[in-house]
Amino acid sequence: MTVVPAQQSGGGGGTSGLYDVLELVLDRGLVIDAFVRVSLVGIEILKIDVRVVVASVDTYLRFAEACNRLDLEAGPHRSPGLPDLVGEMTESGARGKSKGALTGAAQTISEAFNQARDEGQAEPKRTRRSAPSRRKEEQE
Amino acid sequence: MTSTYIYGIASAEHPSLPDGMGGIGEPARKVRLVKEGSLAAIVSEAPEDLRPKRRDLLAHQSVLSEAGGGGPVLPMRFGSLAPDDKAVAAVLAERADHYQERLSSLDGKVEYNVKAQHDEEAVLHRVMAEDAEVRTLTEANRQAGGGTYEERLRLGELVVSAVQAREAADATELQGLLEPAADAVSTGPESSGWLANLSFLVDRGQAEHFLAAIEHVRHSRPHLDLTVNGPLPPYSFVEPGPAEPAGTE
Repeated sequence: MTVVPAQQSGGGGGTSGLYDVLELVLDRGLVIDAFVRVSLVGIEILKIDVRVVVASVDTYLRFAEACNRLDLEAGPHRSPGLPDLVGEMTESGARGKSKGALTGAAQTISEAFNQARDEGQAEPKRTRRSAPSRRKEEQE
Repeated sequence: MTSTYIYGIASAEHPSLPDGMGGIGEPARKVRLVKEGSLAAIVSEAPEDLRPKRRDLLAHQSVLSEAGGGGPVLPMRFGSLAPDDKAVAAVLAERADHYQERLSSLDGKVEYNVKAQHDEEAVLHRVMAEDAEVRTLTEANRQAGGGTYEERLRLGELVVSAVQAREAADATELQGLLEPAADAVSTGPESSGWLANLSFLVDRGQAEHFLAAIEHVRHSRPHLDLTVNGPLPPYSFVEPGPAEPAGTE
């Protein structure tokens, strides 16, 4: 059964996840004390596999590994102004999507750092939510 | 005995209430109206053993979206049950002034929910660019073929704390960037693990302005991954009032 809520057609504001709305339906909205509310025990839909970064040994190791994979040259080549680099490239690459902008940014930065040896690390591990509308894969 | 499920409250004058639409339940219960004075409650029969199932949550949302398209509606939180229609009418009668006031103050307004997370790779680039110690450690570890367990742990801890600091800073910044384009802001439920979960009350006529502000953030803050949902019924602004929504400073 597919229900297409009306707001999806008129939004124009971006990716629409029903997931993202349902928490509001469950947690916000008018409550009238004269009425009973159904029990929310056993909610199945709020298993959102997104996480904020939590401090744990596993996370530390994962991030250390991610930094290695990132393979930016440190030290003398530090970027003087990452946001500027990003700003410059948004015109060419971004087309309004953050991921697009990111891709370009990463490339720009790589160039700036004269990065040579990242052939093998094409696919950054996506531990974040697998967004349904991942835009184009980064070109490596 | 069947109880009455309440979706929302609107003015009895509302031009396009979803009378007859399919609501919650399997099969879908028919949506109808309980009118009392100047108000109308959007209701349906409640299925036995109503639970917060995905299908029902969506139905609740769909009915409200449909109703909200034609005029102001006060959305109920999912799962509100009255013993019968008479009990619903009694509440409408008893609190008519209050609901009328809320309806008129939310007239023409919709909610946009904005969630942000970091794009991991981008935020790491950023942390790397901003933090000399992280760069040094990363480089040292790389030259040592990855580094010892302790060294990796130390780097990771440093990076995590830098990323966490960024999460907090970016959440504050995001709110500051979008707030001027909205009438009110409300911090969303925290449980779902976004670095920011913000709901904005936006005048329909100003929606483009608000969405332009979103686009601006997307361009200027590419390390933020924004998920925008709206226009929605003003779930986060029905109480206590748009002037002082829950969760604002």
